[in-house]
Amino acid sequence: MALQLKRDYLNQKVLERLSTLQLHARLPMVGNVSGKHRSPIRGSSLEFAEYRKYVPGDDTRRLDWRAYARNDRYYIKEFEADTNLRMCLIVDTSGSMDFAYNGNPTGTGGEPGLSKLDYARRVAGTLAYIAALQGDAVGLYCAGEAFHIEIPPKRSATHLSVVLDELGTMEASGETGLADILHETAERIPQRALIVVISDLFMEPETVRNCFEHLRFRKHDVAVFHLMEQNELDFEFDRPMRFADMEGGEPILADPTVIGAQYRRAMEIYLASMDEVIRGTEVDYHRICIHENYGDVLARFLLGRTPKRQK
Amino acid sequence: MSFLQPLALIALPLMALPIIIHLINQQRHRTIPWAAMMFLMSAKRMSRGMARLRHLLILLMRVLAIGALIFAISRPLSGGWLGSIGFSQPDATLILLDRSASMEMQDLQAGESKRSTALKRLAQLLEQGDYGTHLLLIDSASGQMQEVDSPKALLNLPMTGASATSANIPSMLETALAYLKANESGRAEIWICSDLNENDWDIHSGRWNAIREAFAQLEGVHHFLLAYTDPPSGNLSVRVENVQRWKRGNDAELILDVMVRTGGDSSGTRRVPIEFEVNNVQSVVEMELDTLGASLQGHRIPIDAKLSSGWGSVSLPGDANPLDNRFFFVFSEPPVRKAVVVSDDKRIGEAFRRALAVPLDARLQHHADVIPVNRVAEIDWENTGLLIWQGALPSGLVAEQIAHFVNSGRVAMFFPPAHHAGDQLFNSHWGDWQSSDPGQVSKVAWWRGDADLLAHVESGDALPLNGLRTYRYRTLEGTGTPLARFDNDAPLLTRVSTDHGAIYFCSTLPTAQFSSLERDGIVFYVMLQRALTEGCLALAAAAQRDAGVGVLADRDQWKSVVSAENTASLSQRELHAGVYREDEYWVAVNRSQAEDNAKVSPVETVDALFDGLSYRRIDVDVGDTSALASELWRIFLIAMALALILEAVLSLPSRKTEATPLIDLTVADGSTE
Repeated sequence: MALQLKRDYLNQKVLERLSTLQLHARLPMVGNVSGKHRSPIRGSSLEFAEYRKYVPGDDTRRLDWRAYARNDRYYIKEFEADTNLRMCLIVDTSGSMDFAYNGNPTGTGGEPGLSKLDYARRVAGTLAYIAALQGDAVGLYCAGEAFHIEIPPKRSATHLSVVLDELGTMEASGETGLADILHETAERIPQRALIVVISDLFMEPETVRNCFEHLRFRKHDVAVFHLMEQNELDFEFDRPMRFADMEGGEPILADPTVIGAQYRRAMEIYLASMDEVIRGTEVDYHRICIHENYGDVLARFLLGRTPKRQK
Repeated sequence: MSFLQPLALIALPLMALPIIIHLINQQRHRTIPWAAMMFLMSAKRMSRGMARLRHLLILLMRVLAIGALIFAISRPLSGGWLGSIGFSQPDATLILLDRSASMEMQDLQAGESKRSTALKRLAQLLEQGDYGTHLLLIDSASGQMQEVDSPKALLNLPMTGASATSANIPSMLETALAYLKANESGRAEIWICSDLNENDWDIHSGRWNAIREAFAQLEGVHHFLLAYTDPPSGNLSVRVENVQRWKRGNDAELILDVMVRTGGDSSGTRRVPIEFEVNNVQSVVEMELDTLGASLQGHRIPIDAKLSSGWGSVSLPGDANPLDNRFFFVFSEPPVRKAVVVSDDKRIGEAFRRALAVPLDARLQHHADVIPVNRVAEIDWENTGLLIWQGALPSGLVAEQIAHFVNSGRVAMFFPPAHHAGDQLFNSHWGDWQSSDPGQVSKVAWWRGDADLLAHVESGDALPLNGLRTYRYRTLEGTGTPLARFDNDAPLLTRVSTDHGAIYFCSTLPTAQFSSLERDGIVFYVMLQRALTEGCLALAAAAQRDAGVGVLADRDQWKSVVSAENTASLSQRELHAGVYREDEYWVAVNRSQAEDNAKVSPVETVDALFDGLSYRRIDVDVGDTSALASELWRIFLIAMALALILEAVLSLPSRKTEATPLIDLTVADGSTE
């Protein structure tokens, strides 16, 4: 598939590197065309699935005559069906996703000025490209109070272009609407799909648990990219500062030297709670610092989803 | 608190600087957009109590540091008692210095007396502070007020030196009061330096009420009392109670009654050597002292028979108060005890003469004349010790002669005339005769037995005034102090207050028609003999006197024979113990008996004397010359340093705990595989 790439957030080298990998669903998908993913419906692929007894009405061409010769009974030979998948990219566009610490006080070596939304844009765009490349349908949902996009998954090149364009134009502002969009997506996508959530998940862990459980209940394969900035974790500032809420709340004047320990303690509790949520809902969870190379992150993600039988 | 640089306190509002900076910084804090607000709020909730407290403490430490610095620059003076001074400066500072003999009690190690200690500390304090435009000294010895150039000059003035006098604190306060009223001084400080000697303070005097009320009407007058409240200890004082020169055949001897008092703190008995010096001959006698001391009665010292008069001294070994370790005495041949009875009634005159002519001691010569009123001019005033006047009270020249007679130390006794009462004399005059009802007599209901003419005898037994029967007496109207009263409160014997000598009024007559005075005899005899003895003291060529202003004023050419203090000032020499002579007259000047008693007034009672006034008592110890008000800037600098250190400690960032990274990329992936 040849795409005219004009989106500067996509890196040609990363795309080339990742194009050798395939995006696999961890669960069988229900597609409308033949594809590379397992389907819960038996199909005509070369992959043997099982025998079952012949019932009148079955296509006699699928009778296994050899089995009849051995057992004197009629068996229908069934094969796996390969289908395509629907990948829904859900990107959090709340104000907090715009966070980028230019000062880089912790010396973590990240790209200066790179916000979590920029990072999400790269991850989502690359995944959309890879999915489209292997013939999967790609949809985009933006979970922001002010910026709201709903692009249902389709598998055309034109559709990919629309998705990438929207990714390029999305902005972060306002409070998050991630919980609502996840519940809505769980209900509105009728068939199994790969739901890729890219967010900083600054919500109560219980809210996150409810969203994930809802998605899992609807048989969706859920993958989560939990984006964090290193300074959000370390909170290492040496002087009192006024912290302006990026989601529009009241600013807070605080001395990090005074409340740093408590902040880190609160963060630890949150992350531990998130771990509990992940263990309970069995989503494909990736906690990422945005100073990491997103190509490596995606490579790890794709490799982690590769079915074992193919290894 | 007072300050040497009070202008620096103008900078006190700078203490608000940290708070202002904090408020400004709150507006100037760097603002950064922040995403993870939920953790920030959670952290603030978790650290609200301690962090807020720490923040407040840091601010407080900064405020305190600046405050301490400003206070240090303003050079504060120590002493909680200075708090009442405030920041205003006095217009005048009056120093009332107790120079009494008891103030010479020393701290043997420091070599400083109570007086010098108080002076040094006060001079130091005033030197550091502001004593106003007038610095005035009222010393107890002279009672005079004098302006002093500077506090340091106090240490070298003769008016601040030791003296053997007693003090009169109420009188000194009255002098100060008169000055403040006359000069309409605004704010004034009165510093009293005293050892609270009961005699000096006369705390039971009615004058205190008037003084207190007068000071209460003055605004801005602060009283400070530098007080030695500890009772004196480790001190002995010696006193010659009586000295007589007697001839004994061809020899002569002195008979001395010596009293040694202890400070009251000694336990058990001890022996103390007493050194006598007469005519440059020393002799030592050991006395055994109990807790109160001891007396040596009738100690005989043989002298040359040709030595008709002279001086001597009795000394103790050195102790805490050197001023009461030596007592001077003078002696001379006893004078003829001459009394004059003025009466127109021969019988009454004879009764007096008989009582006066019989000597107490056979070695004494007694002589009594009875003359009628119209021959008063014949009286030899110079050689008479006692005047008995039974007749109408005189006026004119005779009254003036009697007044002069009394002022020269003699005694006059007045008995009621039978008829005409006469004029008023010494603010007293006779009233009407009062007669008892038939079969009734007036009896003495009360008399003063502790002193004066009707005092108990040496054995402690009272005179038999209970048995005295009075049939007729004459009322007396005047301002005298009764020494004996009838059961109807009418006075029998009254003493009129005088500076010198003594004046008595007796309301009845000795003859049987009026009373049983003559018939019972004892009271009559003792009363007259005591009056004669007192009056004849002025006749002796040798006299013992208490140190004080005017004790040498009776003669112009007193020359110092021996003095306890080397003083060139004629006005000051009478304030010190010593012996003076002019021709055949001798006088020994010593401290008063009250100074030996050295009873300290209770501080509560002294404090009560200043009730309602701005008053502060500062207890000091003898020999402690440390500054009354030392500068405190060092303390404030230390306080500032401590505040800064605390501020630094509180400002230190909390110790980082080595925690595992919150994101471990190798385990964070929650793959469901």
